[in-house]
Amino acid sequence: MAEKMQLNEVEVWDGNMSASQALRQAQIDVVAAYPITPSTPVVENYGNFLANGYIDGEFIMVESEHAAMSGCVGAAAAGGRVATATSSQGFALMVEVLYQASGMRLPIVLAVVNRALAAPLNVNGDHSDMYLGRDSGWVQLDAFNSQQAYDLTLMAFRIGEDYNVRLPVMVHQDGFITSHTAQNVNPLSDDEAYEFIGDYKKVNPMLDLAKPVTYGVQTEEDWHFEHKARQHHDLMTKIFGVTQDVFDAFEEKTGRKYNLVEEYFMDDAEVAIVALGSTVETAEMVARKMREEGIKAGIVAPRMIRPWPHEQIKKALSKVKAIACLDRSSPNGALGMLYNEVTASLYQGDNRPIISNYIYGLGGRDFTIEHITDIFKELDANAKEGKLTTPLQQFIGLRGPKLSFY
Amino acid sequence: MLEIRWHSRAGQGAVTGAKGLADVVARTGKYVQAFAFYGSAKRGAPMTAYNRVDEEEILIHEKFMRPDYVLVIDPALVFVADVTAHEKDSTKYIITTHLSKEELIESQPKLKGKEVYIVDCMQISLDTIGRAIPNTPMLGALMKVSGMFDLEYFQNAMKSVLSKFPQKIIDANMAAIERAYNSVK
Amino acid sequence: MKYLGWDELLPGAILFSFDEELDKDPAEILPEDRPYAETNSHEAYVGDWRVLKPVYNRDLCIDCQFCWVYCPDVSIISRDKKMIGVDYDHCKGCGVCVEVCPTNPKSLLMFEERIDNDEALAQWPEKQ
Repeated sequence: MAEKMQLNEVEVWDGNMSASQALRQAQIDVVAAYPITPSTPVVENYGNFLANGYIDGEFIMVESEHAAMSGCVGAAAAGGRVATATSSQGFALMVEVLYQASGMRLPIVLAVVNRALAAPLNVNGDHSDMYLGRDSGWVQLDAFNSQQAYDLTLMAFRIGEDYNVRLPVMVHQDGFITSHTAQNVNPLSDDEAYEFIGDYKKVNPMLDLAKPVTYGVQTEEDWHFEHKARQHHDLMTKIFGVTQDVFDAFEEKTGRKYNLVEEYFMDDAEVAIVALGSTVETAEMVARKMREEGIKAGIVAPRMIRPWPHEQIKKALSKVKAIACLDRSSPNGALGMLYNEVTASLYQGDNRPIISNYIYGLGGRDFTIEHITDIFKELDANAKEGKLTTPLQQFIGLRGPKLSFY
Repeated sequence: MLEIRWHSRAGQGAVTGAKGLADVVARTGKYVQAFAFYGSAKRGAPMTAYNRVDEEEILIHEKFMRPDYVLVIDPALVFVADVTAHEKDSTKYIITTHLSKEELIESQPKLKGKEVYIVDCMQISLDTIGRAIPNTPMLGALMKVSGMFDLEYFQNAMKSVLSKFPQKIIDANMAAIERAYNSVK
Repeated sequence: MKYLGWDELLPGAILFSFDEELDKDPAEILPEDRPYAETNSHEAYVGDWRVLKPVYNRDLCIDCQFCWVYCPDVSIISRDKKMIGVDYDHCKGCGVCVEVCPTNPKSLLMFEERIDNDEALAQWPEKQ
């Protein structure tokens, strides 16, 4: 029986420690991992907890992230609670197996500490790896700070393991900005946390000899389409409700409220920024300041990136006049993901705001209050003019001649 | 909001110092941040670490900072690092050095007219802890200069932050904190 | 097999081996007694994939089980370590069993499909 850890009411944890404490409290059966910066401490801390008797499960050292996720798939199919962590290049190497995990409907939890993708090599935070995973069939949740990294990692188990969901879940946090920034975190006690998640319920485990089952079948044009459709159907119809229920249960327990799409000052906002990660909090602070200056600024932040909360996004932005979608990943030849998704969602509604796209913070480039202030001012001008007063896509915080398109 | 920037070399304990300070402050009900810039952080490479302290939840995640305090824990960094970057008129400097304040300012005119305090954290850590880990002495000096906490309260709080270490190491750190507290000028 | 719509599929594209839950380890149940599911490959007839077929000669066999071990399609039927014959519903005629057979003459030989097994046994070669 694992030892319990005595935690203070307020701990000062960085995002990595928050994730690893949540993994510890979940009492996972198998963690197969291959550490990579900046998520290394998630695995390192977990190994430390295991060595000191705080964890009963198995820790499997593997030779690559491909093998790490493969180990997770095997253990999850066998019928265990499973999790791992990764970043960037490691995430990229895992991608092949990410599709296997979701296709086999295995509720693995993956802590993703977001980092840029090479070349050129870079260890700092941007959302390239998060974006890389968005068609993989996983549920993707995004934490904006250390506390949320803890909360969402706990909740990820309950969401993914729900009988109606049975899908793997990623919990994203910003590399270094969140993962290596120690902040106040209010953890649950070990008992409360475990009770919230509950015992792992096996569904069709491979190791049930009374009911042998094959995972990883081959299907060609006669069956493949139906299986993929079934998975897409469940992503589109089952996740939102279950996730909101888990968020509500968590709020009841902790007082901390989560929504599929977070909104800040949106009741009367005329201009809004749509963003992900730690940027959301900095933008919230700037929005307060903008309001003092007479600009009715608001923030909309998808807590869930996949499945995409189409209805909630449409509703959250149904009244604003101008929107800036902030993408922290190089779109490499297109408009940014958030721009495309948000615009597509709004096209189905009655509101026709002016929407612009900003590319920022690649490779951990600092995104400052000043940048966000500039964006709100440009949005204010767009709203007042009733048309785009800037190019459609702009790079912000970039050296050299102004880079913009359309 | 109170903002602090540490100048250190990787391996000297600036991150641990910043996190230790955050831990102590958080216990008083305030909100804290402790973070650092990491590049290819090899032992000895110059690096910076940061603290923010506020009465309200800290939402800001930009790395840019106009520090209230600049803590330089390696004696050579005042000569090679841009320790006055983004300073305010009110920025206070606590600098590790074996020089006198006059000698230091004369060699570094950028510090002229600034509120500068000196303390020899390197010598203190070598004498007390036995290794060049100048982070805890710097915290002692910061307590004295800022008046954030009195010595006894801070030492007690640090004892529980360091509780996983052997008693010998805790005692050495307490001695280091006290000596720096009393010798910073 | 009936084609199912997307809404009739089991999540995860999993396939159960048997129609019902077993009360013991399937290894302890003889294949002919196992309640194979329709989707199990056991239920698929692939006997017509063969060009040549292995014929088994009980008189020469020493029950070494090499053919049983090496058959890539579990088509050698053996009970209590005694060879019985070949599962012609699943054997694809690869000839591995003949290759590994150690007796002289071999206890398994490939013949054309059209040749009756009794006729084949009558043509069996002598020891060399």
